[in-house]
Amino acid sequence: MSAETHSRLVRSAATGLERAAAGVVGLGFAAVAVSWATVFQWLRIRDTVAGVAVVDWFGLALLTMGGSVLALGAASRAGLVDTAPSDAAGLVPGVVFGLLGVTTGFFVVADWVDAGAEAGLVGGLVLGGVALAVTVGTREDVGSTLVPGCLLVLLGGLVVADVWTVGWTFRPTWWSLTFSGDWTVPVTTSMASLLAVWSAGKAHGGFGTAGRQTGAFALVGMNAAAMLAVLGLVVAFVVDKGLVMLLEGAGLASGTLDLGVLALPWPEVPFVTNVTGSIFVDVPGVMPAVLGTVWLVVGAVLFAVPLGVGAAVFLSEYAERGRFTAVVEVATNGLWSTPSIVYGLFGFAFLLPRFASGASNVLSGQLVLGFMLLPLVLITSREAILAVPKAHRDASAALGVSKWQTIRSVVLPAAAPGIVTGVILGVGRIAGETAPILLTIRAANFPRSNPNVLGSFRFTAEPPFVANDALLQGASALPLQLYTTISAGQSPRPSEYTQAEFGWGVALVLLLVVLGFYAVGIATRLYFRRQITQ
Amino acid sequence: MSDADFDTTAPTAGTTTVTGETDEELRDAWTDYEADAAATFEVEDLSVWYGDDRALQDISMTIPEESVTALVGPSGCGKSTFLRCLNRMNDRISTARVEGSVELDGQEIYQDGVDLVELRKRVGQVFQRPNPFPKSIRDNVAYGPRKHGDVDTGLLARLTGSHEQGKEADLVEDCLRRAALWDEVKDRLDDNAVGLSGGQQQRLCIARCLSVDPDVILMDEPASALDPVATAKIEDLIADLAADYTVVIVTHNMQQAARISDQTAVFLTGGELVEYDDTDTIFEDPESQRVEDYVSGKFG
Repeated sequence: MSAETHSRLVRSAATGLERAAAGVVGLGFAAVAVSWATVFQWLRIRDTVAGVAVVDWFGLALLTMGGSVLALGAASRAGLVDTAPSDAAGLVPGVVFGLLGVTTGFFVVADWVDAGAEAGLVGGLVLGGVALAVTVGTREDVGSTLVPGCLLVLLGGLVVADVWTVGWTFRPTWWSLTFSGDWTVPVTTSMASLLAVWSAGKAHGGFGTAGRQTGAFALVGMNAAAMLAVLGLVVAFVVDKGLVMLLEGAGLASGTLDLGVLALPWPEVPFVTNVTGSIFVDVPGVMPAVLGTVWLVVGAVLFAVPLGVGAAVFLSEYAERGRFTAVVEVATNGLWSTPSIVYGLFGFAFLLPRFASGASNVLSGQLVLGFMLLPLVLITSREAILAVPKAHRDASAALGVSKWQTIRSVVLPAAAPGIVTGVILGVGRIAGETAPILLTIRAANFPRSNPNVLGSFRFTAEPPFVANDALLQGASALPLQLYTTISAGQSPRPSEYTQAEFGWGVALVLLLVVLGFYAVGIATRLYFRRQITQ
Repeated sequence: MSDADFDTTAPTAGTTTVTGETDEELRDAWTDYEADAAATFEVEDLSVWYGDDRALQDISMTIPEESVTALVGPSGCGKSTFLRCLNRMNDRISTARVEGSVELDGQEIYQDGVDLVELRKRVGQVFQRPNPFPKSIRDNVAYGPRKHGDVDTGLLARLTGSHEQGKEADLVEDCLRRAALWDEVKDRLDDNAVGLSGGQQQRLCIARCLSVDPDVILMDEPASALDPVATAKIEDLIADLAADYTVVIVTHNMQQAARISDQTAVFLTGGELVEYDDTDTIFEDPESQRVEDYVSGKFG
């Protein structure tokens, strides 16, 4: 590196370049958020905000970002600001910009100029080649700003000039798809804003190594934010749709807690606590399905966790690595990737006739879900056990402690957080499974009573000496209740609640129950982790 | 100088000792070495193979009780392998094969019917890197006695009223005091041991080793992962322990061997025991030219 490309060692205050670039990055983030709000129709694109149509705001934002990016690059190239660009922006941005050029050129020639698909292809290739050449062939500050800036200015100009706006449609003869301005403008705006964010991020770091780091950090940060946004969107949507039903007749102190000698006011949520299909309740509830899900998960965990952890201990501590462990590994992966409907069919055809002479029963559902949980518990437990340092085992052996006692007292406690993580993931999956339980436990569409599993245990004179009728009857579960509500085409009380209201309520409760399982699992994991770190 | 350079000059050179004797004559001389104290270990023609590689060649030596015996030598010379033979930790390596005889207090430990639990209770080991369990300091020290049923503090004992909390507390304090750690941790016995410094962790491992009341303590480079201050503490501790225990220590560090050991065995590449004598003799007047070169730092 020659001396004149060295930048200042100490940056005391933000430079004008940094402020301008940070402004573009912020505007880009805002544009992405607003454009997706428009796609999801929280903000209508035909509305007017502060006297300007929303669609024109998009155009203005694109123009501003594009102009700023061009100005940042030009200022850096002209040496007006203190930057340390590399010789070229690199091949990867070149290829990406080239592809963008191909697309843009194609649409401009094929649609705007209306010259047909073949001419569009030629125009696209020409523009793409130019974009590639400009990006690869110039210094980094120009290469990483010129193409994005021009693209943004072009798009913004089309929007502001009302060429490409609300009501614009594009029905290519060569493709059976209709592009409407109502959604292409916001979607394209969000993508183009990402380009501007990357470009301005690089400018903020003064290009070069620091610039690449800033640009990459901005894009990666957007990825994490997008993931959170997806989760938030799903939860918010379900809550929004189902909350009305969940809170039907609910009150913070409208119920009573009967302690025998005195009755205390108690919160009441009838949608959760009532049975579904009875005419004697004010609000049809989902308690039978909640209990059914809880019992299914409890049964599956009781079945799969000891078996899976035991097999993992055997495979990782006792078995020699060889053909047998390889076969078990293949079998485990096979179990994990078997489709859930196949598990359901297996339960229906194999388990049902053996437990309740062909009738639906909870026990079969528990076992089928246990089969599904087993491979995940096995795989994660094995990884967790193998991750326990050999030094712990050596230390225990050198004290004369036997292998089994070492496993029990040292290896398993150290592996417990990892094992619990596997169980959490597995429970999250099986609690929401529909296909296997549809074929194994389905009974009434809208059950009139709760499954009484705990109270149904009784002793018998013949083996197996314990019987539980509730486990041998069909039941409901939350995903199944959702399915039956959809397939029945109506709610349990069609005169008062629509199918959609009731269904969204069930979906919300299902979401809450699964999140509840997660909470229990995470608390357990924290407990075990604290054991080995504090 | 590398090990390979050394090998070319080794046995074929004919006269390899200071006084002009051959290795064979020399070997007869030091094999008869008898320390003043009674023998804890009598090792006779011990050889170890890992698969087809021979790691130890016909080692014979006597390790006297209540003293510090240092095993020194370059990397890969088999000194750690030899150490692990003394409590049969080599059994845990599936490819290892042991031939020869090791007697602990007159009893052969390589014969059928040897109780490994009892052997390892009598011959404890401290490892190169501190390896406390991820448990509380108290649980680390009490681990061995609890597993062997020497103290009864389980839930069942608590229910039946036979739990021995006091006995366990005394034992933990005693072991930590012997390991010179008590004053530093007495107020935080329930904290996790992974929060201790490296030197404290290693002393905790020594305390854990003492908790099952061994006769012998094997140490495999116990200070190599520690800073000089922690190393000095460990060395002082080893000197104290030698009053009650037989200590066998593997070390890379010549000065450490000279400082703390009563007798020194020099292993050289190929798994040979080249010379074994009082530490002063080994460092000031060794018989073998190769040993003199090694301890004076000419190679290795």
